[in-house]
Amino acid sequence: MTGHHNSSRFTGASRYVLDNELAKIVNISMALEMPLLLKGEPGTGKTMLAHAIAESLGMPLVVLNVKSSMKLVEALYQYDTLTRLNDSRFGDSGRDVSNIENYIRMGKIGRAFTSDTKTVLLIDEIDKADTDFQDDMLDVLDQMEFDIIEIDKTVRAKNRPVIIITSNAKKDLSDPFLGRCNFHHIAFPDPRMMQDIIQVHFPDIDNTLAQNAIMAFYKLREMSSIEKRPATRELINWIRAMSSDPDFNPKNLDKGDIPFLGVLFKKSQDFARAVTTLARTR
Amino acid sequence: MFIDFFYKLKNLGIPVSPTSFLTLHKAIETGLVMSLDDFYTASRSILIKSERYFDVFDQVFAHHFKGADLPDPSEKELAETIRFLLEFWLKDPKTLADTMGIDENQLAKLTPEELVEYFKERLKDQEGRHDGGNRWIGTGGTSPVGHSGYHPGGMRVGGISRNKSAVKVALERRYKDYSKRGPLSQAMMGEALKRLRNLVPEGPKDKVNVEASIYQTMKNAGEIEIVFDRSLRDRLKVILAIDNGGWSMEPYVQTVQTLFDHARAQFKELKIFYFHNTIYDNLWQDPGRRRDHMNVEEFVRFDPQTRFILVGDASMAPYELLARDGTIYVQDRSTMPSIERLKFLADTFARTAWLNPVPAKMWPYTPTIDMVAKIFPMFELTLDGLEEAVNHLATSHN
Repeated sequence: MTGHHNSSRFTGASRYVLDNELAKIVNISMALEMPLLLKGEPGTGKTMLAHAIAESLGMPLVVLNVKSSMKLVEALYQYDTLTRLNDSRFGDSGRDVSNIENYIRMGKIGRAFTSDTKTVLLIDEIDKADTDFQDDMLDVLDQMEFDIIEIDKTVRAKNRPVIIITSNAKKDLSDPFLGRCNFHHIAFPDPRMMQDIIQVHFPDIDNTLAQNAIMAFYKLREMSSIEKRPATRELINWIRAMSSDPDFNPKNLDKGDIPFLGVLFKKSQDFARAVTTLARTR
Repeated sequence: MFIDFFYKLKNLGIPVSPTSFLTLHKAIETGLVMSLDDFYTASRSILIKSERYFDVFDQVFAHHFKGADLPDPSEKELAETIRFLLEFWLKDPKTLADTMGIDENQLAKLTPEELVEYFKERLKDQEGRHDGGNRWIGTGGTSPVGHSGYHPGGMRVGGISRNKSAVKVALERRYKDYSKRGPLSQAMMGEALKRLRNLVPEGPKDKVNVEASIYQTMKNAGEIEIVFDRSLRDRLKVILAIDNGGWSMEPYVQTVQTLFDHARAQFKELKIFYFHNTIYDNLWQDPGRRRDHMNVEEFVRFDPQTRFILVGDASMAPYELLARDGTIYVQDRSTMPSIERLKFLADTFARTAWLNPVPAKMWPYTPTIDMVAKIFPMFELTLDGLEEAVNHLATSHN
């Protein structure tokens, strides 16, 4: 589209290991001015990506954490009726009670729209909300404007934000929603990619530890009948735990002696299963 | 441009919309798409909206730009069946030879390649005849190793991979695990579990939502308005009856059991019973179907609101279902045709579902599946089927 977009192309950030494919998709979505929908196992860096984009483009990041009970209007603006009622009773705030606009507060989307600079808007875990929320939100993002009914005013986006939407795929998103987004599924990184990721997070990590930890980690992940398989996030915490333990010897990992299992398996059933499986193989 | 490509995707059942196709062209105009690699990424992210279709997309892409084989279900099923036959032959050559009516020693002389060719010929023969006796021949659907869509196609060679890396990537079929067709597997456990988690009944609207009440009241300038929310009703009771007899069900028993086991916390009560092929006088509480049994008539004692879920292929000889002495096992007593027992259970419980690992398109070819499906609402044992079943089971008590 415009030269402006092409000049601000996304190439990666300091704490995020980007695969080429994903970088391309991000750039195409930015050029098309379409929201990018990211799906993937929890802990594969969906949220991190938005942070990385904001960092590399030098734009402020606005995060909307979607909750299951959330109404769209909460994401746009809030009419603070309680304060207004309070002011009208006691009248000591200096605000003009008859002007409702004084009691309108912008929500996350509203803030991204009214910001003076271009922002990255991350809508995190959209799948938690119901379909009405999703469809209505896409309407707003499509038209880049919304109405504040209480004061009969339309808020238009000063700058079209770069929109990243993440989903953990608990529910399928509706067709019209999907139709308006670009889509990418972040697959779980392979061991080689994982090596790079670990390197980025622990620049001076002991090589034996990294190798053995990653190997043990992938072996644990392959264990059958595990409900919540440990992801990158767990691996990073696990390595952090192991390197802070002075008694720990990375060579033991090879022998199936795995410490801090609780960092990797957070569901009690999974934990129990992991313990029994390990006991059997040792 | 690429209209062919677009229609190939559409014909293989990927929901691609014309709008997204236009968007793709817009993307090409931006100048960001400069190589086939770029085109692969761009077209996938714009046209395909779910990772379930990534695998089919990869195949179509490889086919369109490199001439690799398109997925052909019938051929693939054939390959799967042959593979199963081979495995079976390795384990138990005698039974197989007997069933196929050939001499075991003669088979043993063949090289693996010859063996495969031989099986192939036999299967092609068999397809025309459909004589219910050897039911694992001819119907690729009952093969326990899966059917079209999920497995990478057993013996087929995935085509040639040279030059273009996007095609190479597509040929690797990295996303085949996410493909939505194909029976439930361990890999899909997490996803399936999420479907099952939807099995929560809704309660009456009798809980005060304090925050919303305050907001509404303030909005009414102080006139009190109380907002009610739905409270969760008692959790569900579930009885799971699994057909764990014979090899045809073997791959699924473990998966289904683990699945429900993980979801146990979701239910108020989960009971697991076992049967073979169909239900006669008793259901068994031990997987070996020997020790603890419970008479079907006693099931009236359970809460009728219990969700009764059966898992089985419902494929058997019709007399097993219809005859008074239909059972093929001595320990199963049968004083009434099995079909009556099934009807009795269906009447006892308000909500029932039968999950069948046989793909739905194969159901019409097995008469007993049809008969059973008339009694219990039947769903495929796939992600989609499970979702439908959960929707069916969760809907209101009536």
